[in-house]
Amino acid sequence: MKVVKERFVPFLLAFPVAILLLAFASIILFIGIGGFSAINLKMLTTSVRKGGIFEPIIGTLYLLAGAIAIATPLGLATAIYLVEYAPKGKINRIITQALNNLAGVPSIIFGLFGYAFFCRFLGFGISLLSGWLTLTCMTLPIIVRGSQEALRMVPRDFRIAAEALGVPKWKAIKDIVLPTAAPGLATSIILGISRVSGETAAILFTASTFLIKGLPTSPLQPVMVLTYHLYTLLVATPGASLNRAFAMALTLLGLVILLNLLAYLLRMHYRKRWKW
Amino acid sequence: MHLKRPKFLCFKDKAEIFLFILASISIIILFLIIVFVLNEGIPAFIELGFSNFLFGQRWAPYYGDFGAFPLLYGSILIVLGSLAISVPLGVFTAIFLAECSPRWLSNILKPVIELLAAIPSIIYGFFGFMFLAPKIMEFLDVSMGKVALTASIILSIMTVPTIVSISSEVIASVPKEYRKASLALGATKWQTIKSMVLPAAKPGIIASLLLAFGRAIGETVAVLMVCGCVPQIPSPPWNYLKPVHALTAAIALDMGEVSWGSLHYHVLFGLGVILLVITFIVNAIADFFTKKAPRGVQI
Repeated sequence: MKVVKERFVPFLLAFPVAILLLAFASIILFIGIGGFSAINLKMLTTSVRKGGIFEPIIGTLYLLAGAIAIATPLGLATAIYLVEYAPKGKINRIITQALNNLAGVPSIIFGLFGYAFFCRFLGFGISLLSGWLTLTCMTLPIIVRGSQEALRMVPRDFRIAAEALGVPKWKAIKDIVLPTAAPGLATSIILGISRVSGETAAILFTASTFLIKGLPTSPLQPVMVLTYHLYTLLVATPGASLNRAFAMALTLLGLVILLNLLAYLLRMHYRKRWKW
Repeated sequence: MHLKRPKFLCFKDKAEIFLFILASISIIILFLIIVFVLNEGIPAFIELGFSNFLFGQRWAPYYGDFGAFPLLYGSILIVLGSLAISVPLGVFTAIFLAECSPRWLSNILKPVIELLAAIPSIIYGFFGFMFLAPKIMEFLDVSMGKVALTASIILSIMTVPTIVSISSEVIASVPKEYRKASLALGATKWQTIKSMVLPAAKPGIIASLLLAFGRAIGETVAVLMVCGCVPQIPSPPWNYLKPVHALTAAIALDMGEVSWGSLHYHVLFGLGVILLVITFIVNAIADFFTKKAPRGVQI
């Protein structure tokens, strides 16, 4: 009897797994089917005012590029400091704790903070720049955590060998540790981009407006973004064109899946290559 | 004479000073977030009175009623509902992955779960808004599809990855000796899982649950789009088929329309303060449980 019951356990456990796969498939299919029937090249390249989604797409890229350009050096520097210079001790603990807390802060709080600090206190207004800085605060923990892992995977022997040859520490890091860890670092940055690209709450009142004429020409101008545009289209515009909503959802989902696929492939490649 | 300097001032080279300065920015950011959110939020607590604000029963900002209780209640109702779905789903999936999943299925399942975590909340919101809400209206025969249950279901899909990834790590880290000893005593595999592996992994599973709670209560856009945004305490209070409102949703909805420095503006930051306090407490408890996980598991 016991043995018979035992046989059913895997099936019982497979039930929640099936639900999970079903949920995933239905999201992908719903947006995929709706999106592919709505999207076309003309819509992607036409201005919003003529029923396209050109500006939100380019605006999203603007927002991503700036945020990552700021967050990457900052995150890498933090990770290098934590792993190479202060692997333990009080400072490491404090910074790690700060990053952990930062990772737990809800995105809407980043939005509130960004509005109060960047837009108002520093006077940047609702602008691309405020968006970049707010998103930098948000992605920093993700980039640092991933980079730390990548740096830790570089064998200790490399560092010891460099030290034995009399190479200064910063030079050993620059020429040996960083190139070795490069694929891992790239993965963490890509995952950071992926997170930023789907963010809505943090840019709700820091970077974006629903309708602007054209693309921003300076960092102090607001920008149109896919997530925000989709949000306003659904929440605040009753009777809006669903075609555009589906097209934007698909573009966004496609971007995120692409980025994650890239990160996944990089990681696989990395694992195969660096085996000691 | 060798002067002993405090250790944290010993820099090995110039690069270290530079890196140290950049690394401390994360501390500054956290500090600034706390200061600025508190600074803008405290006036609301002072002006309205702490308990009037936190336990006030009516949220009608345009009529001057700023009782946050319906929002707080709505948030917690939605999140508890989502955990009731995502915890069994996540923990069972983690057990399945660790104990009896064939390799090919694990190879599908792991990336799928990672992707579920990566899908932006606006996409979940869109899905809930366009697909799930109408379905709920149809199947449960209610007049409105955007209710607490819809939000709970959407949130549960969003939080499952957190629970699965941490739980499966913890389950995998339960020492092999435990399992072997149990099997050697004649226990079946399922009995071993039930009475050896799960109890040993319990602190880690609780930690994952708390982290999921923290993530769910801070979720904004997806909740806003599917919860109905009606600031009420449903009757009876556990009725999941009534629309509710949430802390995060109220901030996101109203923030665009308030004038800077008005009471409403400060109240929204006050909601932010409540949210921040909840997440910090929950994360701190999660941290405590993480440290109790077997053999110093890194989560």
